[in-house]
Amino acid sequence: MNDIVNSLRRTPYQTFAALSVLFFTLLLSGLLFISLTFLQGLLNYVETRPRVIVYFQVKAEDEQIQAVQKNIKNTNKTSEIKYVSKEEAFEIYKEFTENDPLLLEMTSAEILPASLEIDATKPEYLPELAEMLKNQPGVDEVQFQKDIIDNLLKLTSKVRKTTAIFFSYLMFMSIIVLTTTLSFKIALKREEIGILKLLGATNMYIRKPFIGESIFLGALATAFANIILIGTLISMNTFLQGYFDGIPNLTISLAGMPLQVWPFNLTFAIATLTVTSIFSLCITLISSFSATNRYL
Amino acid sequence: MISFQNVTVRYPLGNIALDSVSFDIEDGEFVYLVGPSGAGKTSILRLLLNDIHLSEGSITVDDFEITSQKFKKVTELRQKIGIVFQDFKILPESNIYENIALSMLVKGFDKSQITKEIDDALRLTDIEDKKYLFPAQLSAGELQRVAIARAVVGDRSIILADEPTGNLDPKTTWEIMKIFKQLEKKKTIIFATHNTDIVNSMKRRVIVIKKGKLIKDKKKGGYEL
Repeated sequence: MNDIVNSLRRTPYQTFAALSVLFFTLLLSGLLFISLTFLQGLLNYVETRPRVIVYFQVKAEDEQIQAVQKNIKNTNKTSEIKYVSKEEAFEIYKEFTENDPLLLEMTSAEILPASLEIDATKPEYLPELAEMLKNQPGVDEVQFQKDIIDNLLKLTSKVRKTTAIFFSYLMFMSIIVLTTTLSFKIALKREEIGILKLLGATNMYIRKPFIGESIFLGALATAFANIILIGTLISMNTFLQGYFDGIPNLTISLAGMPLQVWPFNLTFAIATLTVTSIFSLCITLISSFSATNRYL
Repeated sequence: MISFQNVTVRYPLGNIALDSVSFDIEDGEFVYLVGPSGAGKTSILRLLLNDIHLSEGSITVDDFEITSQKFKKVTELRQKIGIVFQDFKILPESNIYENIALSMLVKGFDKSQITKEIDDALRLTDIEDKKYLFPAQLSAGELQRVAIARAVVGDRSIILADEPTGNLDPKTTWEIMKIFKQLEKKKTIIFATHNTDIVNSMKRRVIVIKKGKLIKDKKKGGYEL
């Protein structure tokens, strides 16, 4: 460890350059990882809550609504049906418009539609249920989450592609900078490497200090990046609580294991640390091997 | 046992560094390799280290047989050999102990063995008090002693010395030769030089190389330019 620290102190500018690039790469990679996991968690959440909302015409009778509720229940494709009366709808409306009294004054329970919130047992039943509801008497409008899921899927796919391109670019850039920095250091130690080779040192023995040095830099950059990432997540907790209000948790599957993304927890912090550490290890190993290869 | 059988080294442009050279060296033997500059002495030493490749013939070093450019056990071969260069090749940023320890670290010796062997080597070369000094604090003669200490530690049975006294004054040269005399019988020593005084004073086996050819191989021989 002392050798590594001494070696880094002897070339402070190169060390700073390599550390900065690694830090920004890992910080951005961590941010991308967190964004992607939140998005995927949101998608999973929406997919696991297949819901159709049917709004009735204002003049629809209670009997009509009950008949629709009964017909839908008989399909055995629903898990829960919740009736929202005009009065309940008005209460919800009041909550939404509490900061805008003018809007509230212009509205009454009479002009709001009653509705049914229908949870399907499987997401693929949603189009079928929606189609059936459209043809029921007294129905004004049917909304279901297909559009939301489609949009989320499109967004997730775009973010995945962008992440892949960005990851590759960041990795390439970091490898180039780190390889150049290490090559410079190796060039300074060319005579020492020559002597070591004549003494019978294996290639791995010669590589070891350079690999150790780059892994040390990578570990330092990973630690800094994760302090910033986790600190940011903790400081954004209140904002995110408001944003994800009503969503108890967001979960994704990572390497076959369920990982709770929201609410923010220690396991997710460890997962972020692990992902950035693996990324850092890949960059530092590739860089140190390619830099030393030229001299062995 | 070291054996050269019809060894030829031909460089890519066609010039010949060694031309069908053959000789055998027994374990524990002290051999002077002499000849004018450019005769091929260093080429023989570099061949033994597999630092250059032979074009024809074969070289045997104990269990290792080098017959082609595809010799794979370079590391193992080099771990049997200690080297002493004319320009010392001591690392300036490491102290004397660390420089000598390199020779053992590359072979995976543990710390207690390293410390013991280095102490013995420092006693042999008479630089015990310089253990923690840095190369810049040592004279040329002392640096060559460090190089010899590095060559003898780590269970290395062969020592190759390439003009080890070339940069030293006569007094220091004789002091260095005394150390090599102490190593006789314990190690196989191949000592490349063109210093006739050294060769003639010790009356050991002399292999004379000239223009890449072995022209004389004499037990207890001498040498004249």
